[in-house]
Amino acid sequence: MPQTKILLVDDEVEFASALAERLELRSYDVKTANNALEALAVIHTHVPDVIILDLKIPGMDGIETLKTIKKIDPTIEVIMLTGHGDVQSVAEGMKSGVFEYIMKPVDIGELTVKIDNAMKKRTKEK
Amino acid sequence: MNYENEDNLRLLQLQFIGKILAGFTHEIKNYLAIIKESNGLIEDLMTLGKTAQNDSEQYLEITRSIEEHIEKTNTLFRYLNRFAHRMDSQLATFNLNETLEELIALVTRFANQKKIVIGKDFQEDIPSIYSNPSLVQFIAFSLLNEKIKNLDTNSTITIQTAAADNTVKIRIIPEGNFLEGNDDTPLISYKNLEKLIQQLGGNVLQEKGKETLITLGMHPQ
Repeated sequence: MPQTKILLVDDEVEFASALAERLELRSYDVKTANNALEALAVIHTHVPDVIILDLKIPGMDGIETLKTIKKIDPTIEVIMLTGHGDVQSVAEGMKSGVFEYIMKPVDIGELTVKIDNAMKKRTKEK
Repeated sequence: MNYENEDNLRLLQLQFIGKILAGFTHEIKNYLAIIKESNGLIEDLMTLGKTAQNDSEQYLEITRSIEEHIEKTNTLFRYLNRFAHRMDSQLATFNLNETLEELIALVTRFANQKKIVIGKDFQEDIPSIYSNPSLVQFIAFSLLNEKIKNLDTNSTITIQTAAADNTVKIRIIPEGNFLEGNDDTPLISYKNLEKLIQQLGGNVLQEKGKETLITLGMHPQ
């Protein structure tokens, strides 16, 4: 399987950089963005296979960001990061095309399983 | 819901506490997530391969970040604890600046979501007042929350305090674009807020889209 390209979107800079480095140590190719506009800019220059997206990012509503991502490329898989597993946000995310969700603090093993499953789905759909 | 009697006021205060707790727990979860990832990163660096290089500077940087976020967690818990104790008695002698400072710390998350910065401009030697501290926080929160909701992103709100003529003044000054047609219902109507402030021996002046000035008596009537 080719190296999975990941875009990690979270406004907590230190969280994003630590998690990105942990994923890189597991051989993923990771870019980070700290707000929605930055994320959309990265998508245009470095198309990711999987986006890990915190829906509560400043600058744009998370669901709107998700819809925009899906418009750009519907085969990009999105894993939603949530603070509290808020049922309404999760349901709304799933309805808008989220592949999976994961709660913060993140379990790295659980996250990598979800990333690999998302990558398998994207590879099939491409 | 509006404040028509004591029961309704208690319900509104419960909503206020709920909002504070929601913001607090979200923020703490974020800090714990950073601590967990930083700790995990040290473990990964040791087990997944980078130990051949001299990484002591990176380790130090990560441990400093862990320390910093433990300190931030501790500070927020201290504010929440003080906030909870404001309800110990209906009337107490308290420092207005401290009361507002803990409120600001607990609502900053809501402001950050809209990239709104809350600034403080407190009179340092403001005298203590004898009043209802949790009600003062509820009033300040209601006005602050309304401004956060109605302001556009990248705005600022400054909270000033000052003492004059046996009263203390809280000025909430918004700077930025106001969102037209925002239909969000405020936590409490302005008319009822006015009544509450009058009960504390004070008054409030507000112009739509502009600053709010609350004047409180040093002692209840």
